[in-house]
Amino acid sequence: MLAFISRRMAAAVAMLLVIGTIIFSLLIIVPGDPAELLLSTGGGSASAEAIANLRVNMGLDKPVLTQYVTFLYNTARLDFGTSIVDNGSISSVIALRLPRTLEIIIAGTIFALLLAIPAGTAAGLRAGGKFDIAASAINALLTSIPGFVLGTLFIFFFAQVLGWLPAGGYVAFAANPMQHLQMLVLPALTVGLHLATIVFRMTRASVLEMRGHDWVRTAVAKGLRRKRVVRRHILYNALGPIITVVGLQLGILLGSTVLVEFIYNWPGLSGLLVSAVEQRDYPTVRAVILTVAAIFIGINLVIDILSSLLDPRIRLQ
Amino acid sequence: MMSVRNFPKRMILPSLFLAALIIIPFAAPLITADDPVKIAVRYRLAAPDLEHWLGRDEFGRDRLARVLYGGQVSLTVAFVATTIACIIGTLFGLVGAYFRGPSEFVTSRLSDIVLCFPPILLALLVVTLFGPGSVTLVAVLSVLYFPTFARITFSEALRVTSLDFVEASRALGTPSYRIVLGTVLPNIAGPLSVQYSLTAAAAITIESGLSFLGLGVVPPAPSWGQMIRGARQFMNQDPLGIMIPCAALVLTIYAINFFCDRLRDTLDPKGTSGSSMDEVSKPKSRANAPTIKDPDVVAVINNLRLETAHFGTPAVIEDVSLTLRANQCTALVGESGSGKSLSSLALMGLLPGAIRQVGGTLQLRRKSDEVVDLGFLDARRLEDIRGNDIAMIFQEPMTSLNPIHKISDQMIEAITAHRPMSKSDARAHAIALLKRVGMNDAERRIDSYPDQMSGGMRQRVMIGMALSCEPRLLIADEPTTALDVTIQAEIIELLQTLRQDQGNGLSLLFISHNLGVVADIADRVAVMYSGLIVEEGPAAQILRDPHHPYTRALIESMPSSHEELNSARGDRLPAISGTPPLPSARPSGCTFRDRCPIALPACAHIRPALYPSADGERAVRCLRAPEAPAGVMNHQTEAA
Repeated sequence: MLAFISRRMAAAVAMLLVIGTIIFSLLIIVPGDPAELLLSTGGGSASAEAIANLRVNMGLDKPVLTQYVTFLYNTARLDFGTSIVDNGSISSVIALRLPRTLEIIIAGTIFALLLAIPAGTAAGLRAGGKFDIAASAINALLTSIPGFVLGTLFIFFFAQVLGWLPAGGYVAFAANPMQHLQMLVLPALTVGLHLATIVFRMTRASVLEMRGHDWVRTAVAKGLRRKRVVRRHILYNALGPIITVVGLQLGILLGSTVLVEFIYNWPGLSGLLVSAVEQRDYPTVRAVILTVAAIFIGINLVIDILSSLLDPRIRLQ
Repeated sequence: MMSVRNFPKRMILPSLFLAALIIIPFAAPLITADDPVKIAVRYRLAAPDLEHWLGRDEFGRDRLARVLYGGQVSLTVAFVATTIACIIGTLFGLVGAYFRGPSEFVTSRLSDIVLCFPPILLALLVVTLFGPGSVTLVAVLSVLYFPTFARITFSEALRVTSLDFVEASRALGTPSYRIVLGTVLPNIAGPLSVQYSLTAAAAITIESGLSFLGLGVVPPAPSWGQMIRGARQFMNQDPLGIMIPCAALVLTIYAINFFCDRLRDTLDPKGTSGSSMDEVSKPKSRANAPTIKDPDVVAVINNLRLETAHFGTPAVIEDVSLTLRANQCTALVGESGSGKSLSSLALMGLLPGAIRQVGGTLQLRRKSDEVVDLGFLDARRLEDIRGNDIAMIFQEPMTSLNPIHKISDQMIEAITAHRPMSKSDARAHAIALLKRVGMNDAERRIDSYPDQMSGGMRQRVMIGMALSCEPRLLIADEPTTALDVTIQAEIIELLQTLRQDQGNGLSLLFISHNLGVVADIADRVAVMYSGLIVEEGPAAQILRDPHHPYTRALIESMPSSHEELNSARGDRLPAISGTPPLPSARPSGCTFRDRCPIALPACAHIRPALYPSADGERAVRCLRAPEAPAGVMNHQTEAA
């Protein structure tokens, strides 16, 4: 087990290294002077002095290898450098905003799992039945609604028409817990519903596959209660494939969070990212994307370990 | 290649729907004469009228024109990018599959890496460097999605190139490029087209998302994402403004997904049929109160009739009656498809959802001496009986145990399902059972997983588990078929020993197509052919002197030496040609007459009954058997 975990962790670190290298080399392979490129706005270019300053600031005047090693070393220390725009420390901004993004993702994931796993199980057990047909049709429709469209429609209905919930904004939990939670509902729902469509589809397919296995028949032949057969011999077996797929889909989830935060004015990583892209603040963009990729890899590492706990065959390989 | 006539029916609706949604935006000049970018501030947010069907937006631009021309932009970006990704990815995949080695590594790893970047974030990264715009979008989307195409092409190409006919044409000296173009590409076209539509939908989502953030298509060029962004500030006064582009976007993505789902179903029709966890439907009317008078009898199957759930199809089991006694092993023999497994599953209440019992009774004497009819019990009472009064061993020990639970857990739950017992007591009982079925080192091995055991060991576990609640009836459905020859003999010996040891007079129903094994273990034999019992009686008599031509054929098909006989796995009969008829294709009269070497013209008219012998010991369903009443043939022939 320990060997398995350390092998997976080594793979995760290697993956991070590759991603860091790709992100680093993007700036190198860009045709022309990156400093000039980043400071250009529309047709006009910045003053020579500003370009020179930026070059020194970002270390672009040093040899590529030195830049690369420095970049890796600093990234490993979680030092992402300073923003081109306001010279502030990127690391501290991320430290401030990351928890808010994670909050939406965690709340959305919990909502998605609570909704989609029971629904997917019910649909899979009675595939072709009334519930399955209805749920699958709703799911197909929801799958086709991009996150930002869903968010916009939610604001329209729940905030504008019905007036039940605030249209957006953020208050620290410590300042006003009730209001904080109210403001969390719509973003979490938007992110969660999107994930729920994926989880539903996967749970349904997985349950449908598992229920046909011989061991399910054995379990029924043993005289186990139907509930226990479903829980222990269908759902428990289906869980591994479900969480693996969910892990892989988290990339899309993390991406849709950017738009959802933007729609609801939730000051997480995405606000930072969008304004950094608008201002072509490359170091900040780079830092945010590295952080998100690291979260993605981290979550998938946890999922790998979880599914190996669920299924001995993965451990024994 | 595909003619109109064999275009799959289920694809017509999604194809038309999708085609309409793609064509309409490009037919914009035919639909409206308005310019999508012409500003008329005086008419901002004007309501729909006859000239401007969908009203005007926040700059007074015609909304219909904007939504149509915006569709052109979104669709073009998405489809151009997807096409580029598809071409590059397919080439990468083919090269990887052809050369293997390093290019294989690149192909399979590349998609892992790209998966780590949420697509929209990678797009943002590139937009930071190159600035927003349609060209940037196309480039980003192609880079994002080509590794997925490469991976699919790679794995499919590997699968296809290892197929027999491709190996054969390679051996014949067909050049590689011809193999790739002629066989590999057509074979991977299906999975690729599914991926193509999925990617197109994802690309539209990302394009509109980026435009919504103001980082995609550059204004004033219209795009659906931008229209939503613009209308958002006015959604209070003008809800139509967000509804129209939202609807256009959702409809288009839905059309693509719909098309893609149907395409996947058409290419890989697995369907939702098959076994279901639904309750098995019961016969409507209740039979007489069940009675088994003879105290020695454990179960009686009487005139069992099973049909498929489809209305109007013939019975899969026409008429099966069987008496199972304590301390007796009854063998149910026949080719696959004869209905022997279905009869036993009916006893367990484990019939597949598509099959229901329409007639007959399945009576069982429980351990408490209560007699019940299994066909009329509710689900809860059946659960009490399964594993407790009747237990079953299945054919495939490799798949009959749940691979992710320890043997101990699976045995303990079988015990505690019927006996109020602490977990540690149940564990001790389970260990004792494993020892009884001949497992060495049971204390340690009980904590292993099924995958750590051989097939023979797993079948021992299954047997131990089946005996855990001391059932009165044990059904063994081809328990040795999947095992090696030496293991087969061991398992048969074990079943023999256990049967003699079991104190309460275990009745064993042994299902097999292998008469050699049957000769070793059975007291009585019932031979089944296409849903009917054709011969029944004491094992020794029947095997020595079969009266039905089918039984004779089965015996003649046995390999001569005992070793070979045990290894016979095939379900086919070399002694007689043909296979059992499907329920829908059974001949008139005797169902065996098509394959029967001694059939008479009369056999086509008369459906023989099961004629008992004079001493009542055996019975046979054949007009030419000694048991058949004299004159039955003449009498019937005259009548006909």
